[in-house]
Amino acid sequence: MNDLIKELYQEIILDHGQSPRNFGECDPHNKSADGHNPLCGDNLKLTFYINNEDVIEDIKFTGEGCAISLASASLMTEKLKGKKIDIAEEIFSDFTNLVSGSSEDLKVLNEEDSLYALKGVGGFPMRVKCATMAWHAFKSALKS
Amino acid sequence: MLDIKKIRGDFPILNKKILNNKDLIYLDTAASAQKPKVVIDEINSFYSNNYANVSRGVHTLSVESTFKYEDARKKVQKFINADSEREIIFTKSATESINLIANSFASKYINEGDEIILTVMEHHSNIIPWFLIRDKYKCKILFANIDSTGNIDQKHFESLISEKTKLVSITHLSNVFGTIVNQEIINMCNNAGIPILLDGCQSASHIPIDVKTLGCDYFVFSGHKLYAPTGVGVFYGKENLIEELPPYQGGGGMIADVSIDGATFTDLPAKFEAGTPPLVEAYGLGVAIDYVNELGMSEISEHEFRLTNYALDKMQDLDFVDIHGANENKHSIISFNIKNVHSHEVSSFLDVEGIAIRAGHHCCQPLMKHLSLNSTARLSFGMYNTEDEVDIFINALKKCRDFFTK
Ligand SMILES: Cc1ncc(COP(=O)(O)O)c(C=O)c1O
Repeated sequence: MNDLIKELYQEIILDHGQSPRNFGECDPHNKSADGHNPLCGDNLKLTFYINNEDVIEDIKFTGEGCAISLASASLMTEKLKGKKIDIAEEIFSDFTNLVSGSSEDLKVLNEEDSLYALKGVGGFPMRVKCATMAWHAFKSALKS
Repeated sequence: MLDIKKIRGDFPILNKKILNNKDLIYLDTAASAQKPKVVIDEINSFYSNNYANVSRGVHTLSVESTFKYEDARKKVQKFINADSEREIIFTKSATESINLIANSFASKYINEGDEIILTVMEHHSNIIPWFLIRDKYKCKILFANIDSTGNIDQKHFESLISEKTKLVSITHLSNVFGTIVNQEIINMCNNAGIPILLDGCQSASHIPIDVKTLGCDYFVFSGHKLYAPTGVGVFYGKENLIEELPPYQGGGGMIADVSIDGATFTDLPAKFEAGTPPLVEAYGLGVAIDYVNELGMSEISEHEFRLTNYALDKMQDLDFVDIHGANENKHSIISFNIKNVHSHEVSSFLDVEGIAIRAGHHCCQPLMKHLSLNSTARLSFGMYNTEDEVDIFINALKKCRDFFTK
C-alpha cells in the first residue's frame, strides 16, 4: 500500500470517519453554524454551549461527508470540549496551519495531539477544505 | 479502427508521471479533455506569427487574424451541420452561451406566468441562468423527472408541456449518467412548436452532431471538452430565430452605427459577439475539430462506446460497486459509488495510483438530491483511453475497497 494514502488515512481517521464522536445536537446550545463544502456538497451543522466562564461546555455536530471531514469534525469536538474560547481560537489557527502544510510554529498543538493525524491532508491540497469545514463552522458560530 | 497508440503519442500530457511515479490514467475527460500537441502548437504559432485583433483593422495581421477566426466559425458550422455560419456565435463557454440565450430569449418572449422546462439532471449551468430569468420575469421553471435508468421520464415530461411553455432546455448527454436524450423528447417539442435548446457540452465530444437531424433550435457546447483550449464556447441558433432576438451584451464589434443618441446593431453573428472575442481560442477549437475529423467522429464515438461497455461489464461484477442509472444507453460516462466509501476517498485513493476521476456532485445538486446521494465518483472517457487503463482502474477499485472496508 501506498505511503501517501497511509499517511492521509491513519487508523484514527478511519475510526473517527466511520464512527464519529459527539455526533448529534447540543441541547441546550447557544452557538450554532452550518458548514458547507460547495465543491462536493458535503455539509454539517455544529452546535455548542458556552457557559458564563467562556468555556465550551458541550459541542456536537451532525452532517454528511467524507472520512476526512467527519474525522476532522469528530476530533475537533473532542479537542474543544472543556476549552476556554481564547484557547479554542488558538487551536483553530494551529489546525488550519497544520493541514495547509505549515506545521513549524504551532502554538498549542503538538505531535502528541490526535489532531496531528490530519497532517497528511497537506499532501492533498484539494482535501484541505474537507478537513477545515467543521473548523470554519466553529469560527463562524463564534462570530454569530 | 483508431490507432490509439498513435493518438496517445499526440497528447503530451499522457507522458506525465503522477505523485509517486505512476503513469497518468486520465478518466476525467467529461470535466475537460486533454489537448493534442497540434492544438497547443497552433495556438503558439498564431500568437507568434499572425496575431492582431479581428475585424477592426485593415493591416495585414488583422486580416490574417480575422481570416483564421472566421475560418474556425466555418469549421464549427460544418462540425454540427448548421445551415449557415451566421448561426454560429463564439462565446467564452457553454455557460455563457446558455446565459446568452436565456437573456436574449427572455427579454423578447418571457412574461409573468410563462413556463420553461428543464430536467432534474441538468448541470447548474443549465439551471441557474433560468433561475435568474425567473426572478427577473416572474416566470416558472418546471423540472421533468428522470426514471431509475437515468433517462427523462417521458410521460412526466409530456405532462409538463402546455400553452404556457415557452422554451425547453435540456442536456443532450448527461454528465452524470452518460445517457443520451431520447429523440422522442425533441420530437414532442417540435410537434408542439416549442423551441428546444440542447446542452451539448458532453455530446459534442462523444457523438457526431447534426443539429438539423436532431431538430433542435439551439445548441451549445464548450471547446475545452472537445480537445480545444479553455475560454471558447459555441452558441448555435437557427438563423430565423436568432435574427429576431436582441443582443445579449453591448460593446465593440456588434454595432452598425453609434451616435450619442443611440446605436443600431450589426448583423449575425457579430450582433452577439460584443467585445474582442476569444479569437485564438476559437482558432484552437477549429484546429481541434480538424484533428477530430481526421480521426473520424464516428470512430472516436465507437471506440469510447466500446470502452464504456467494457468498463460497465467489469464494474457490474464488483458487488461492492453501485452504478447509477441503467447500463444501456450509457456513453463515455459512468457514475458510481463504492458501498460505504465516500467518493472523495475513492478519488484520493485512485489519485495516488495515478488515476484521475471526478468526485462530488458534478454541478448537478438537484439530481444528487433526487437520487438521495451526497456525491458520486465518475469516470469518463476520451479518445485516448484504453482497455488496459480500465483494467488498472478496476484493480484499483478493489484495492480501494479493501483499504477502506477492511
Ligand atoms: C452537461 C454540461 N453542461 C454545462 C457544462 C458547463 O460547461 P462550462 O463550464 O465549460 O461552461 C458542463 C461542464 O461541466 C456540462 O457537463
